[in-house]
Amino acid sequence: MTWQIQAIILIAIVVGLFVNHFRTDTLSLKSDWSIQTREITTEGQRLDISLAQAKKLFVENSAIFIDARSPEAYAAGHIAGARSLPWDDAEQQFIEATENISSDTMIITYCDGETCNLSHNLALFLLDMGFSNVRVFINGWTVWVKRNLPVEKGNASLDGG
Amino acid sequence: MEDNNQKKAILTPEKGIQVNKNWDRNRTLPLFASLILGGVFVYAGFVKILHPASFAEAVYRYQILPDIFINLTAIVLPWLEFFLGIFLVLGFWMPGSVILSNILMVCFLGASIFNVLRGLDISCGCFSTGAVESSLDIWTILRDTFFLATAVFLLYATFFSKDKTKIL
Repeated sequence: MTWQIQAIILIAIVVGLFVNHFRTDTLSLKSDWSIQTREITTEGQRLDISLAQAKKLFVENSAIFIDARSPEAYAAGHIAGARSLPWDDAEQQFIEATENISSDTMIITYCDGETCNLSHNLALFLLDMGFSNVRVFINGWTVWVKRNLPVEKGNASLDGG
Repeated sequence: MEDNNQKKAILTPEKGIQVNKNWDRNRTLPLFASLILGGVFVYAGFVKILHPASFAEAVYRYQILPDIFINLTAIVLPWLEFFLGIFLVLGFWMPGSVILSNILMVCFLGASIFNVLRGLDISCGCFSTGAVESSLDIWTILRDTFFLATAVFLLYATFFSKDKTKIL
């Protein structure tokens, strides 16, 4: 039966590589998966924002932080003043979450984990919805907490930061 | 003589029914299990085959494989699932297919548990490659556990059941 396992794997490798070679959306065998490379829109706009920039905007009160994580994670703790707009429910909660935000306001989305894609997807969604100044704070929650920056708990914050 | 014939007439149908019950239980359940697991693999593989780049993103988000293996996995794994599913449904190369499906399910379940435990808020990438799929959570783990249980049952039916010859 070992030969059957090897044969199935071999078939998958050969067919996979063959199909990938001839399909229109060929995937290269090696890509650059660095975070900075990934946080670029199709138009070439850089989306990521550093902790220093995010902190500066927070202190100046000149940006609105939007938490893309689940409502439970948001309630357990979030960046002080951040609004909740869970990516899983973004279309339904969009109007309520973006109330009183003008289209040129700086919006910073964040989630948790370096590969967390919720903030990235939410940022693209917000850009699509007409907000022109959107950034992604990569691994935002973890980085923010590690630096002991202001956080709060609960669901009450809808006033922006 | 007459008594013997009477006994035979009574015993034979009962024995026949008993055999048929065994045959049904020992063959139908593994067949059903292999159809379920095979169908799941075919569907999961097919969805990923359609969107290799999105699936590569999903593999990347798991933060388990080194970057160099991400694209290769995204190219090969969907086809592995697809062929495995086809073979399970058709009952082709069953010993190898059953072992491989167990290995895959252990890997999938292990990766899910690992990432839920370390609190990584990512989408599963199990049956769709888009990020709109709900996040990896306890339900993902329960679902994968059910599929692993099905695979383990097939493993038992294929290698350890007394009636394994009827399944192979």
